[in-house]
Amino acid sequence: MNVAGAERQDSRRERIVRQFALTDLIFREVSRAAAILVLALLGGVALSLALGSWPALSTFGTSFLVTESWNPVTEKFGALAPIYGTLVTSAIAILLAVPIGIGIAVFLTELCPRALRRPIGIAIELLAGIPSIIYGIWGLFVFAPFLQKTLQPFVIDAFADIPVLSSLFAGPPYGIGMLTSALILTIMVLPFITSITKDVFDTVPSILKESAYGIGCTTWEVIRHIVIPYTRVGIMGGVMLGLGRALGETMAVTFVIGNAHRINASLFAPGTTISATIANEFTEADGKLYTSSLIALGLILFFITFIILAAARFMLMRIDRKAGA
Amino acid sequence: MSSVTYPRRKLTNSIMMGLCILAAGIGIAWLALILGALLYKGIAGLSASVFTEMTPPPGEAGGLLNAIAGSLAMSVIAMLVGTPIGILAGTYMAEYGRFSRLTLLVRFINDILLSAPSIVVGLFVYEMLVVPMGHFSAVAGSFALAVLVIPVVVRTTEDMLNLVPNALREAGTAIGAPRWIVIRSVAYRAASSGIVTGILLAIARISGETAPLLFTALNNQFWSSNLNAPMASLPVTIFQFALSPYEEWQQLAWTGALIITLTVLGLSIVARSLTGRKEDR
Amino acid sequence: MISAEKPAPQTTASPAKIEIRNLNFYYGETKALKSINMTLPERSVTAFIGPSGCGKSTLLRVLNRIYELYPRQRAEGEVLVDGKNILDRSQDLNMLRTKVGMVFQKPTPFPMSIYENIAFGIRLYETLSRSEIDERVEAALRRAALWNEVKDKLNASGLSLSGGQQQRLCIARTVAVKPEIILLDEPASALDPLSTAKIEELIDELRADYTIVIVTHNMQQAARVSRQTAFMYLGELVEFDDTSKIFTSPQQKRTQDYVTGRFG
Repeated sequence: MNVAGAERQDSRRERIVRQFALTDLIFREVSRAAAILVLALLGGVALSLALGSWPALSTFGTSFLVTESWNPVTEKFGALAPIYGTLVTSAIAILLAVPIGIGIAVFLTELCPRALRRPIGIAIELLAGIPSIIYGIWGLFVFAPFLQKTLQPFVIDAFADIPVLSSLFAGPPYGIGMLTSALILTIMVLPFITSITKDVFDTVPSILKESAYGIGCTTWEVIRHIVIPYTRVGIMGGVMLGLGRALGETMAVTFVIGNAHRINASLFAPGTTISATIANEFTEADGKLYTSSLIALGLILFFITFIILAAARFMLMRIDRKAGA
Repeated sequence: MSSVTYPRRKLTNSIMMGLCILAAGIGIAWLALILGALLYKGIAGLSASVFTEMTPPPGEAGGLLNAIAGSLAMSVIAMLVGTPIGILAGTYMAEYGRFSRLTLLVRFINDILLSAPSIVVGLFVYEMLVVPMGHFSAVAGSFALAVLVIPVVVRTTEDMLNLVPNALREAGTAIGAPRWIVIRSVAYRAASSGIVTGILLAIARISGETAPLLFTALNNQFWSSNLNAPMASLPVTIFQFALSPYEEWQQLAWTGALIITLTVLGLSIVARSLTGRKEDR
Repeated sequence: MISAEKPAPQTTASPAKIEIRNLNFYYGETKALKSINMTLPERSVTAFIGPSGCGKSTLLRVLNRIYELYPRQRAEGEVLVDGKNILDRSQDLNMLRTKVGMVFQKPTPFPMSIYENIAFGIRLYETLSRSEIDERVEAALRRAALWNEVKDKLNASGLSLSGGQQQRLCIARTVAVKPEIILLDEPASALDPLSTAKIEELIDELRADYTIVIVTHNMQQAARVSRQTAFMYLGELVEFDDTSKIFTSPQQKRTQDYVTGRFG
């Protein structure tokens, strides 16, 4: 190559290099902006809810949180009944789903024949992706009538003379109601809890389990004394994640809760949750205060789930670090 | 433990293991019941008219065409908006900003956004778009769905790019390729099946979402191609029809639910097989 | 402490290509290279040897500033390539890397076809016709002694090749962008003896046209392929001389201990 040619090529390269540097800068800044947009989204959600709920919160103050009455006609709104319904249905769901979920995880990691392990594991993860409206429609048309005809009359009769239980399971058997919602939520969060528990069980070093088996422990003792203590934080993270789902779940509950703004001791009675109230009433809400009260409910839900989910992520991050080390 | 005899321990073990099997049985049977009912009730109403006719007035026969079309339209727009943003954000986190504090924060917030109640997202978009525009619209519905797409795509993109060995990036850099070309031609290529999986999972996620559409896109009894007006969607139509007293509507709700479920399961299975092959390699 | 002003080996006739002056390198707070001074001659093979963690790979990674990919790593001092300090802030990194190529320990074919693996680098800075690129790809593959093995499957994935072939593909890819200096970071440590022999043969052929720097933990390899050898220990350059001298009559006791296998 002659000298002039080499120089021409060098200047060409320099031009291309400058172009590359510019494109790189643009790509970097655009991708950074997208990352910041993710932060802005969450900030935007919080801000818009806070602004939207301001009329209601400034009118009712803290009494909004402890008032049961929800009356669109007199424009008196209180969030107590939906908060109560949300917490009770989610709590029951978690209480039922955790032992079942851990049981399935134990079954999958310890008992299940190897050939079935993957298909069942995949099936459970697929079920986690089924939209909640499916659970809702099943709950409304199949599960609620079933409960109404069989389980509820039986339980109401059986507990009629036992003090606390008689009021907890008081009739009439509607089919729909708090307990039905809680059971639907149970089946919905089950896949989440199961697959996370299974994942954290897999992080237990096999040498730990083997040494426990080596000193003569039974399978149950290994799980009880080695696996569960070792993965406690991770399981808690999975439970919190499931709880976050249950608290915010809308459609499955809206179908079967009955939408009644009352706090009733009986779990068979209709009730409401925060998300069901919003879903049922938002489009029909007339008047600024009504809409604003519904947005305030959303803000409360956002606040509760944010804390629960943040706690869940912290716990799962801890187990990730443990597994990575 | 020394006071507990061996037969007793063995018995405890058998009982607990029995309970675990029972739990698995209950869980799987319960889910099988749901899917069984869905198939049984849904197939009963499945016919060509479901895909060719509009949603009917109460008491008449009809189909779900406008609802399906509306769902498709809003999902497509949501993906077109959400996917690039999600991929870009994931790219920043795994590439340019891999070691930055911003990435830690975004990852944390994104994970919360990933499981945040979708109805809250609906309220957000209502405040952001519906109130200023003064009416419900397909645009608002699409935007709400896009907000749900972003965290899914961000998460999978970052995870998959993090799996690309650093040696490959160094090799690209070492022949003089600038970072953006290394990302585009080497990292994206190596992570392509994983990123596609994330996109499919995001489609699966939004195709059944109801709550965020209720007060953004609302619903529409008729065919509408106007993005600035309310638009029907399959999930919202199911919600409305299922809670109605009319048998024809209830049947259409079941059939719609079956269509959504098959779509979601199909997408998830394809997504899974894409990454599954990679794990085997 | 080694004299910082150790002169370059006098036996080499060729002019200096790389001059390293008072180079220090840090990983965060840890000092990984301490006042390195050396001069590498043009068109010859220089080997860096030493026990793991001695800084030989770090030194190599300074020469094309690949360490810039990671935070908290920084170099101080001067590295002159053709008299120009490449550590200068104004040095464009991509430009530097087209001039200083690098081959890594593990083969790193890009996830694309064999042909594309090579054409990719060529197209970056040059606009050529399809046939010109074809020629360059063939030339590079011939140069890396891989042409006969892959000429019938240029569209197959680079990942479908064997480990040794992949590494020669990476060398071809590096050669294709016409660098002046080639850095090899333990290029044969992941390969079987037969593939290793092929790579060494290749290095022998390339040294007429390129300034080659190779890091290796295999002393026989250093003795076989290099003209100069630098022995490094704990981030310091202990001794740098003609390879024959390093292996037969080293000046420093630590060098002697290492090359005779007493430690490391």
